[in-house]
Amino acid sequence: MKNLIKITLFFITTFIFSLSVAFGETPEEKGLRLAIETDLTGDGFIDTVSKSQMTLRNAQGEESIREFSSKTLEVENDGDKSIFIFHHPKDVKGTATLTFTHKTGPDDQWLYLPALKRVKRISSDNRSGAFVGSEFAYEDLASQEIEKYTYKWIEDVPCPGDEQAKCYVSESYPVEKSSGYKRRVSWVDIEEHRVRKIDFYDRKDKLLKTLVFSDYKQYLDKFWTAHTLKMVNHNTGKETDISITETKYQTGLKDSDFNRQSLKRAR
Amino acid sequence: MNIVFKSVLLLLLTIFSHSAYSRPSILEFETEVTVASWLFPESPLYAGQKDNNYSIALESELYAEWDKGDSFVFTPFILLDSYDDNRSHLDIREALYSWYGDDWESSVGIGQVFWGVTESKNLVDIINQFDAVYDPLFKTKLGQPLTNLTLIRDSGYYELFILPYFRERTSPGKKGRLRGDPEFSKGGTKFEGGSQWTPELAVRWSNSFNDYDLSMHSFFGYSRAPSIDVMIVDGQLKYEPNYQRVRQIGGTVQKTSEATLYKMEWLAKDGQKDANFRRGGYFSTVFGFEHTLYKAIDEGGDLGFLMEYNFDSRRSRSNDSLQDDIFIAARITLNDPDDTQMLFGSILDLDGDGQMYQVDFGKRLNDSLTFGVKGAVYQNGRYNSNLYILRQDSWVEINLKQYF
Repeated sequence: MKNLIKITLFFITTFIFSLSVAFGETPEEKGLRLAIETDLTGDGFIDTVSKSQMTLRNAQGEESIREFSSKTLEVENDGDKSIFIFHHPKDVKGTATLTFTHKTGPDDQWLYLPALKRVKRISSDNRSGAFVGSEFAYEDLASQEIEKYTYKWIEDVPCPGDEQAKCYVSESYPVEKSSGYKRRVSWVDIEEHRVRKIDFYDRKDKLLKTLVFSDYKQYLDKFWTAHTLKMVNHNTGKETDISITETKYQTGLKDSDFNRQSLKRAR
Repeated sequence: MNIVFKSVLLLLLTIFSHSAYSRPSILEFETEVTVASWLFPESPLYAGQKDNNYSIALESELYAEWDKGDSFVFTPFILLDSYDDNRSHLDIREALYSWYGDDWESSVGIGQVFWGVTESKNLVDIINQFDAVYDPLFKTKLGQPLTNLTLIRDSGYYELFILPYFRERTSPGKKGRLRGDPEFSKGGTKFEGGSQWTPELAVRWSNSFNDYDLSMHSFFGYSRAPSIDVMIVDGQLKYEPNYQRVRQIGGTVQKTSEATLYKMEWLAKDGQKDANFRRGGYFSTVFGFEHTLYKAIDEGGDLGFLMEYNFDSRRSRSNDSLQDDIFIAARITLNDPDDTQMLFGSILDLDGDGQMYQVDFGKRLNDSLTFGVKGAVYQNGRYNSNLYILRQDSWVEINLKQYF
C-alpha cells in the first residue's frame, strides 16, 4: 500500500514537472514573449504618415487645441526614425523634431526652430517631460522598442470596456533611468494584440495617469491603429485627447526623408 | 538695394509664370503683425534722440510646393517706427526657390542660414547680416542673396554658398536710441577692396557622431561687423562704417550628454581692422554648457542653467564687446498650455568693462496672439567702450504678436 502511494506520488510529480517544462514560463518570460508577439504584429509597416489633433483640457474644462503630423520610418536592426511637425497654434507652426530611436542607449534628437532657421541638437533625457504642455510625456509618444522595458505577465481578464474580448494584463518596467515611471500596466487583447488601456505609475509607484485606446482601424489587412487616445491625469484632473485624423501606411518614404536637411523643409 | 528688389521681382515673375504651368500641391499664406513699445527709463544722452518709441512690424510668408519637390518661400518684412527713419525699413527675409533630391539640395534667391550652437553669441554665423535696429540682442537677421548647393553624404553634409551681394548692418538714425554720437553718416559706407557686388564664398562641412555634432567652415568675403572710420568734415565729427574683406575658418562642437549640452564655437579671421584701425589676424571663441533640471518647477516646468565664456585674442582692441566675458543665464520653460518661457541672462566683463543684463519672456495669450517682454541693462562700461556709449540706453520692449 505504501509502495502504491509512492508510485502514485512519483507519477503525479513527474506529470506536474513535465507540465511545467512544456508551459513553464515564469511570469517575466511570459510577459516578454507577449510583448515580442505584440511588437511583431506591427513589424513590416515600412513607413507611416499621420495627422493628429490634440485637445488639452484642464480641471475646469478649458480646452486648447494642438495640431501636428508625423512621419515614421521602420529601420532594420535599430529603432524607428521619426519626424513630428507642428501646425497649430500658429506661433509654433513649422516647429519640428527629428528622432532616431535606438534599441539601447539614448535616442538622437534634433529640434528645428523656423523663426531662427535653427536646427538644434537636444537631449533625449527629457523623455518624462510634458509633450507641448499636454498630459502625454515624450516617452508615451516615442517609438516603443522591446529593449526599452522589462516585462511581467500578471493575468488574463476580459478587456476593459469590452467584456467579449479577452486581454492579457502585463507590467512593463522602463530600463532608462530618465523615465518618469516605475511601471506601466497594459491591457492588450489576445486575439489581435491591440493595446486597450495603460495605467502609468510614477516613480513612487502611485497611479499617475490612465490612457485608453479606441476606434481601432485595420490597414493593409494587418496593422491595427487606434484613432482615439484619451489620457487622464489622476493627480491634476487634466485630460488630453489625441484624435488621429489621417493615417497612411507604406507611402514610399525614404531614409533621405529623415535627416537634418529634410527636417528644415518638413511641412 | 534697388537692384536687389528688381532681381527679386524677376524671380517672383519667373515663379508665378512657372506656377501657371503647374499648380502647386501646397500653397500657404500667413501674416504676423507685431505691435511693440520700447521704454527707456533713462533720458537720452545725445541731441535729437527721443524717449520711448512705438513700432509696428508686418511679416508675411507665402509658401508654394510642387509635387516634384520644388518649393518657393517668399517672406517680406516691414517695420514702421514712430520716430526713427532708419529703424523704419523694408526687408525681404526670404525669397528662396529650392530643389532637392535624395542626397542633395540646392537653392537660389534670398535666404536665412543658422550655423551656431552657443547661446550668448553665434560667432560662426557669417552668411546673414544682423537686423540690429529691429533687434538689439542680435538674434534677427536680414535676408541674404545667395545660391547654395548642399550634398548629403555618409561622411557629412557639404554646403557651398555663393553670395553675390553684401548687406550693410542696419543702424539707428538721429532720433534713435542705442547708438553712438553722432549716428553713422548716410551714404558714406566703405567697402574696402571691392563693392557691395563683390561676390563672397562660403563652404561648410557638418556631421553627427553619436553624442557629438561637429562642423567646420571657411569664408571669403566682407566681415559682417563694420569698423568705424572717424572723420572731421567741415569741422564736424563723422562716423562712417567701413567693411573689410576677410578670410576666416571656424567651427562648432556640441556634445549632448544626458541633460547637459557642452558647446563651443571658434574662428580664426584675417583682414579685419580692429578698434585701433590695425589690420591683423585674430582668434575668437565661445564655449560653455547648458544643464537642464527637468520637471524642477511645479507641474513639469524645466529649469536650465547656462554658462559660456567669450574670448577674442584682440582683447581691448576688439570691436566686439564680448571679448573676455562670462555669460550666465537661467532659462525657465513651464511646459504649460501657454508655452510660457523666460530667460534671465547676465554678461560680466572680466577686464572690468561693465555688465549687461538681459531678459526675454514670452507666452501665448490665445491661439493666434502672443505676448512678450524683452530688455537689456547696460552698466559700468569703461570710458568710451561700447557699453559706456549705451549707458543711458537700458531698455524694455513689450510686444504683442497677432497671427493671421
